[in-house]
Amino acid sequence: MASLENTQKKLSDEISAYSALQKDYQKNLAAREQLDSQLNENIIVQEELELLPEDANVFKLTGPALIKHDLHDAKENVGNRIKYIKDEIKKIDVLLKDLEKKQATRRDSINKLQQQLQQAQVKAAVN
Amino acid sequence: MTPELNMLQLSSAKQQLDQEMELLASSIQQLQAAKSKYEESEQCVIAQKNVSENNEILVPLTGSMYVIGKVKDADKFMVDIGAGYYVEKNGSNTVEYFKRKVKFLNEQIEKYTKLLQEKIQMRDSVLEALQFRQQHLLAANSTNLDPAKLAQKS
Repeated sequence: MASLENTQKKLSDEISAYSALQKDYQKNLAAREQLDSQLNENIIVQEELELLPEDANVFKLTGPALIKHDLHDAKENVGNRIKYIKDEIKKIDVLLKDLEKKQATRRDSINKLQQQLQQAQVKAAVN
Repeated sequence: MTPELNMLQLSSAKQQLDQEMELLASSIQQLQAAKSKYEESEQCVIAQKNVSENNEILVPLTGSMYVIGKVKDADKFMVDIGAGYYVEKNGSNTVEYFKRKVKFLNEQIEKYTKLLQEKIQMRDSVLEALQFRQQHLLAANSTNLDPAKLAQKS
């Protein structure tokens, strides 16, 4: 029966689209977690820099070398970095919400298609 | 009685609690590992105080090769404060830094341990409710199958 095959095809398309969404969601979730830990690290560094006296020697590891940094510059850099990470987290959160919504609609249509398929199969069996 | 959860909801709640407990336990372990690293570093800095200037030491270039070095300044340390930043500190400041870190970690560990205990309690009550349900179900089944009652019904 043509419509039965049609529904089956639609269902498998929906399922593969759904699993692609799930993969995407997982990927973004992992990125979110990484950003979170980076944010924490930078906040700790910021707190530490705030405790330092004005004349403290601060270095930053750039590749294999320690480069001397001005304390003010270091504070500013870390502050900017925190701001940047927070913005990135906001972006990812929006993305994650969107993906959640998309997953929910795909799930609905999968359920509907499965019901259709069952009904069609029952019909076919009766006939 | 308050509206109760069914068995399915209870067991999924238990599963979720199990996962959360696992995560908390591994976090606590990681925090503890970090703490002992800081404590070890603190001990090293304290030990360094007893090293006089121009003392000869062996500096590891690789895991299996060393060169001879001389301690130029036993009261100057480069401390990694994270995110690629290093700060020069003297001995007592360095010890103070590690003490601060250990204190911070202790607070975190305490917080997480408290959370873990709460989860354990919640899991226990969920488990209890589950068992209660199972017993009820069992009892209900056995009365239904009781031949005397079946005879009465028919």
